[in-house]
Amino acid sequence: MRKERSAWRWLWLSPLLATMLFPFAWMMGVSLSRSADATLGSAFSGPWDFSNYATLFGIASVNRYLLNSALVAAVVVASNVATASLVGYVLARRRVPGEKFWTFGIVATLMLPKQVLMIPLYLVLARMQMLDSYGALILPFAVDAFSVFLVRQFVTGVPIELEEAARVDGASDWAVFHRVVLPLLQPVLAVVAIQSFLTNWNSFLFPLIFIDSDRLRTLPVGLALLSQTEHSVDWGFLMAGSTVASLPVLAVFIAFQRRILSGLMAGAEK
Amino acid sequence: MRTHSRATAWAFLSPWIVTFAVFGLFPFAFSLYASLTDYSPIRAGARFVGLSNYGRALADPTFWSSLATTGIFVVGTIPLTTALALGLALAVQPAFRGRTLFRVGFFVPSVVSVVVLSLVFKGLYASGGPINAVLRALGLPAPDWLLSPRMALPAIMAMDVWSASGYYMIVFLAGLEGIPRDLYEAARIDGASAWVRFARITLPMLKPTLLFVLVVNTVRSLQIFAEVFVMTRGGPLHSTTTVVYYLYEQAFYRFDLGYASAIAYLLFLVTLAIAWIQTRLVRPATEPTR
Repeated sequence: MRKERSAWRWLWLSPLLATMLFPFAWMMGVSLSRSADATLGSAFSGPWDFSNYATLFGIASVNRYLLNSALVAAVVVASNVATASLVGYVLARRRVPGEKFWTFGIVATLMLPKQVLMIPLYLVLARMQMLDSYGALILPFAVDAFSVFLVRQFVTGVPIELEEAARVDGASDWAVFHRVVLPLLQPVLAVVAIQSFLTNWNSFLFPLIFIDSDRLRTLPVGLALLSQTEHSVDWGFLMAGSTVASLPVLAVFIAFQRRILSGLMAGAEK
Repeated sequence: MRTHSRATAWAFLSPWIVTFAVFGLFPFAFSLYASLTDYSPIRAGARFVGLSNYGRALADPTFWSSLATTGIFVVGTIPLTTALALGLALAVQPAFRGRTLFRVGFFVPSVVSVVVLSLVFKGLYASGGPINAVLRALGLPAPDWLLSPRMALPAIMAMDVWSASGYYMIVFLAGLEGIPRDLYEAARIDGASAWVRFARITLPMLKPTLLFVLVVNTVRSLQIFAEVFVMTRGGPLHSTTTVVYYLYEQAFYRFDLGYASAIAYLLFLVTLAIAWIQTRLVRPATEPTR
């Protein structure tokens, strides 16, 4: 009976799944095709080769975009993991004056649509002479409210007795955090790193407005702007760029799908 | 017992305090001030102009039409996305072989950059593109989609429903997992049909999740920007100019940052108001069932 039911589900879920994934199949098909057209046939009826990728990486700026995206994502992820573990830990243990206020700030930042801050942040970065620099791509995102929140929730569920025992044994504040707390945080920090990578790699609006120089652009912005130049009808080229921009996130998602989906479900339940 | 000193607590907390102050509170306050001036980065000095930026927005037909466009987007997409997400969640909740494949597959659009999704759909919607090829094969009319003032907005909305449902499917799955199994068992023993079980158990128990999905999706949809930037640039004939796209144009093409700040604050107030109303609408119905 179980088998019969699963056959039924497959029968009507498969076309839906195919519809969901068709755009990605088409994207990859066109990126490998030799014709520049955006037609159905160009994607699924060869001849195929890597010439669009050769054109793509033949443009010096594109390599630069990719490098910038990787660099910024690496720094932001490292910084989010480090700061979220420190801040989330302290907030969960409620040992700091104004703990309620700081936690409120985190939740408010989470609720606030980011676009509301787009002009304010631009003005502040302009004041700090930081527009059009790596600083503008990194510093405003170096401490992430969502990451802090995830760690705080996680630490709340960790028994404090371990820390107290270490304390009795004469461990310093840093040793308690570093030797006792940090190893326990590993699962939540993995979730923080993954979600922070996905968000940052795909980030578009802020890099678009904070950066003017071509050499500082990240991949999504560079690709969006290239699509509005003479490349606008070269679909093979644009889909090659899109594929390159998607592969890292797809790889991370497929590799960690269990963790991402269950982390998201746990987060949504709270 | 203290596991760390107060000084350590402050030191650990300091990254958040600094970021929150410099990139959160201060900009929020500063832009409130900017919205009361005629600030522009290409001109020295800013004059205090009171509420005139707000008055200007309320008298600006393009602002109102951008608000209407955003409204149509929200009202048109959210019921579809919510229904599709809930349907998918119900379909992939029970254990069956290959369940993970469907859960993962439906979620894929949520991890890919909006720029990529928009570029791919721009190609799918092209006049000789795959979507029109299928329509022609079926003998249906093949419109110009993104080039037509009537069809461009619906085309972007359709893409949004496609790309957002997988994410909310996972949120609904979390809600479904939280419903106690024995409720269904009891209903089954009492002879309740599948539809009755859905209407009397699933839906009422899902109300908090439903509220969460509605509010989060509304707040997100009110900020639609990247899709418009990549696919239509607000056109044709302003038919896809959303509020955030309009304020982007005002800020970064006209350098009218004071006016753009005022629009941003108005959008913020609209967002707060709608989220508040949604909370009110859903809440009274949840209380008695608890």
